[in-house]
Amino acid sequence: MSELDILFYILSSMSVLFGALVVLTSSPIYSSLYLVMSMLSVAGIFMTLNAPFIAGIQIIVYAGAVLVLFVMVLMLFDLKRETKAFTKGRFSGFLKLVGAGLLCGFIAGAAYESVSLIMATSEEIPTNIAAAAETGFSPTTNSIKEISKLLFTKYLFAFEVLGLLLLVVPIGAVALSRVAGGTHAKH
Amino acid sequence: MQSTEALVSVGLNHYLVLSALLFTIGALGVLLRKNMIVILMSIELMLNAVNISFVAFATYLDNLDGKIMVLFVMTIAAAEAAVGLALAVNIFKNFREVNIRFFEHLRG
Repeated sequence: MSELDILFYILSSMSVLFGALVVLTSSPIYSSLYLVMSMLSVAGIFMTLNAPFIAGIQIIVYAGAVLVLFVMVLMLFDLKRETKAFTKGRFSGFLKLVGAGLLCGFIAGAAYESVSLIMATSEEIPTNIAAAAETGFSPTTNSIKEISKLLFTKYLFAFEVLGLLLLVVPIGAVALSRVAGGTHAKH
Repeated sequence: MQSTEALVSVGLNHYLVLSALLFTIGALGVLLRKNMIVILMSIELMLNAVNISFVAFATYLDNLDGKIMVLFVMTIAAAEAAVGLALAVNIFKNFREVNIRFFEHLRG
């Protein structure tokens, strides 16, 4: 077991633990703080995957911008009484657990099958990250320069559409929250 | 001995299983919670899980397209959070509560 493996196990268990806490805690402000921790662990996982640029974007956009938005909106509300996280009932709780296990198994199984399919079609994939580090990830996958080249040539149209979307979304959000009665306006 | 070594040392499958776990947690949050803000957070969790598998495939197949796709997913996630929170503010203005059962009365 190399250092990278140990790092992966620590980071992944942290992200799953905090992700579960997001869903299980009843207070939304604690959920958002756990979500920050989960996002930061995911950024660490991106670092182990040799993608430092994506990790930086993850921290800036998610942990920085989106989560601050969540916390600020939570502070607008004064949620007096804390409601229970889940509806109660032993039988439905059992069904929820079984459903969760089945869903996770199906997704993991589908991913596993897809890996063997890709292995069959594509040539020579490093199956182990240590072996990959020995042969060396190709230096081009590392650089921001290569990513931006691709972004401004092959994906230029998608990039422009995304810019338009980012213009429309704040206007829509402001318009939605400025209407007097909201979605229930009386005409 | 060989098999345990292959199981412990981290490969593409490990990242995919982690992604599946996080996605399931997010999906359960969306399905089971009643608080609208927590539902939006669970959606962020699911998008993150998808990002992990995108980056894992991009690294192991030595292909940059996956990393570009992650940038797009993050932008969409931020936009979706903004609109969702605006709706939540609206719901709260009307009902003093952010429980999704009030969405039953949405109209227009």
